[in-house]
Amino acid sequence: MSDKGHDVDLTRAKQNTGVWLVKVPKYLSQQWAKASGRGEVGKLKIGKAQGKTVVSFNLNEELTVVDCSGEKISSVRSPREHPFTMQTVGGQTLAVFTESSDKIALEGMVVQRAECRPAVSESYMKLKKLQIEESTKPLRFSQRLEKAITTNYKPVSNHSHNLEYEKRKKEEGKRARADKQKVLEMLFSAFEKHQFYNIRDLVDITKQPVIYLKEILREIGVYNSRGPHKSTWELKPEYRHYQEGQEEEKEAAKME
Amino acid sequence: MTSLGSQGSSSSSSTEYVVRVPKNTNKKYSIMAFNAGDKVSCSTWTQARMERDMSNRRIYGEEETQEGAAGSEFGKKQREEARRKKYGIITKEFKVEDQPWILKVNGKAGRRFKGIKKGGVTENASYYIFTQSADGAFEAFPVHAWYNFTPQAKHRTLTAEEAEEEWGRRNKVVNHFSIMLQRRLREQERGGGDEDEEEGEKGAKKKKKGGRGGDLRIHDLEEDLEMSSDESDGSNGDDDEAKAKAKKEKGAKGKGKKKKKKGSDLEGFEDSDDGDFEGLEVDYMSDESSSEEEEPEKTKPNKGEDVPKGIDEMSESEEESEEETKNEEENKEEEEEEDGKKTPVQVEKKKKKDSSGESDSSEDSDIEGEAASALFMVKKRTPPKRGGGRGSAGSSRTGSRPGTPSIDNAATSNTLRAAASKLEQGKRQTTVPSSETPAAKRLKMEPSPQSSSGKSTPQPASGKSTPSASDVLLTEDAVRRYLIRKPMTTKDLLKKFQTKRTGLSSEQTVNVLAQILKRLNPERKNINDKMHFYLTE
Repeated sequence: MSDKGHDVDLTRAKQNTGVWLVKVPKYLSQQWAKASGRGEVGKLKIGKAQGKTVVSFNLNEELTVVDCSGEKISSVRSPREHPFTMQTVGGQTLAVFTESSDKIALEGMVVQRAECRPAVSESYMKLKKLQIEESTKPLRFSQRLEKAITTNYKPVSNHSHNLEYEKRKKEEGKRARADKQKVLEMLFSAFEKHQFYNIRDLVDITKQPVIYLKEILREIGVYNSRGPHKSTWELKPEYRHYQEGQEEEKEAAKME
Repeated sequence: MTSLGSQGSSSSSSTEYVVRVPKNTNKKYSIMAFNAGDKVSCSTWTQARMERDMSNRRIYGEEETQEGAAGSEFGKKQREEARRKKYGIITKEFKVEDQPWILKVNGKAGRRFKGIKKGGVTENASYYIFTQSADGAFEAFPVHAWYNFTPQAKHRTLTAEEAEEEWGRRNKVVNHFSIMLQRRLREQERGGGDEDEEEGEKGAKKKKKGGRGGDLRIHDLEEDLEMSSDESDGSNGDDDEAKAKAKKEKGAKGKGKKKKKKGSDLEGFEDSDDGDFEGLEVDYMSDESSSEEEEPEKTKPNKGEDVPKGIDEMSESEEESEEETKNEEENKEEEEEEDGKKTPVQVEKKKKKDSSGESDSSEDSDIEGEAASALFMVKKRTPPKRGGGRGSAGSSRTGSRPGTPSIDNAATSNTLRAAASKLEQGKRQTTVPSSETPAAKRLKMEPSPQSSSGKSTPQPASGKSTPSASDVLLTEDAVRRYLIRKPMTTKDLLKKFQTKRTGLSSEQTVNVLAQILKRLNPERKNINDKMHFYLTE
């Protein structure tokens, strides 16, 4: 899942392509996301007025419709005129790179920074008002219920969960003592997988009554009452050999 | 949509471009921000490689002991998970997307950058990249993430612990260049043997250029504290040398120059705080007025190491700006120096093959490289003694000069040289006539062809000497020397021949030491319930 490093494609960088980095308000980017077709969103006007460069963006008509949650629909429209404030790149050298699924490419350097500002208008104010209203709504709120809920916590003679448990227990029946050899085999194979076991887990694995199992365990294992593996059983050292060929050794030790 | 003609609004002319936000791109745009001061120009890059920095994965991964096999418990994972839920511990996921980038430009020899993701970029406003397409329209792409790229240093830097150490030693250390050198040396040794930070530690204390180690023998060095019994100066000296060698790298550069003066008198003090030495009167120390002289001297020797430093990537190891100026001065001086000894390479050659106790001689050779300038009176520490700096085992470097700062130099050169030789085995080992510029008043420059390797220790003019022995050989002679001086336990002996210095493994050391003891057959005495060996001449 991690890419082991990609060679960056520097072709565009070598061409010294210059790009603009433009900061765009959130609502505008939302509107742009709704653009259809080839993705035209508006027109950018670059001109010179009194010696200064003036850049302005004009949003397309169809994109001014603002989606808003709630009842009000389309009563508010986003502004269309957005003058750009130009800024210098200044103390940072900004480069743009792209990541696609298989490669990383350097697209170019930022030569101009700009901020897209909405032209202040009545419609903009209304839009902002709407936004503020939405954002002030708390995420959690209390709601009054007409009727009290009576479907929880009804008293029951016996819970369904309990019934299942009892049924299961009956089916299983009491655990029967199996052959000692068989139990030992089961234990050894269990200890092959893990070194430390809780007595409960061993009972589950072997399905033996606890007392019987404890007897057998006392023979071949040792109980850790403290330490990092507290209250767990593990095999005695002579039975222990956590490498290959355990079985034989355990058998051999057992025979002793 | 081609650009329309000028709209002709009022007196301005403007052109209109269509703006498009392409929908189909599978490319995610991100910003790579460099600091203007780093002077990064993408057009100069011939080749670049970028990958995610996965070094944080283990923090999140929490790979515990593998499943099964020894040491594992049945159901441990489930239990751990239940426990975490119970206590509400939420561990953050390891998201590849948020990991920093590592950018390598121009291959191995080029620059490296680390790009850390800047948070909060896309929260309230979106950034778009406007590029002009072929048909004159603008295409806007949203910026997915912003990464701030900073250049990564290629030179070795000190870790926090080491930096703390060095800071504590800053008053004593004259030769700053050797800090990195010694660190490198230590790393090498570490690669071969056990780690022994103590060495550096001890060395550090002794680092002071002046009168370190054996020469002054004013006091028992801290090493004493480590010995099971009191040590005589002699043994100290030995220790010093050994340590000095190691330390030499570490500390001695220029900084110590002034301190060196003070240092020599104050040897044996453990950590010295800043104000400790203020009113002290010291012998053989040039007074403050000559410190300026020493400064340049120091720089000179430093400079000598400058070059090696560059090689050693130590050029930026100097922490103080002082150093930089010193370096510059040194550089200038280096030119003046005619001695070839001061090859910067000397530093690398410091590694001496056979290191004997003489830190002095080695140091000398190291130091002498630089101090050629008439400004510094480099005290030539009996270079002849050293003859090749290495060989004279047992010649007490210190003994010859009672507390002259030059001794320090010699010591330093020893250490430095030792260090350098250690660093690069096989380089010329002969000592270079080192023009040490001890902090002491006058150094007579005696270029002695000590190290054939031509290493020149760019020792800062004075006080650079960190007496340190070069590699300590575990020889019968050395052991005999120790035992004659005073009774020692085996533990003490082992301490003397630390694996770091001798280059042997601990097992080997034990074996060899046992053999030597057998041969020597020293007398035994029980002191403090411990069996001590001693020899009587």
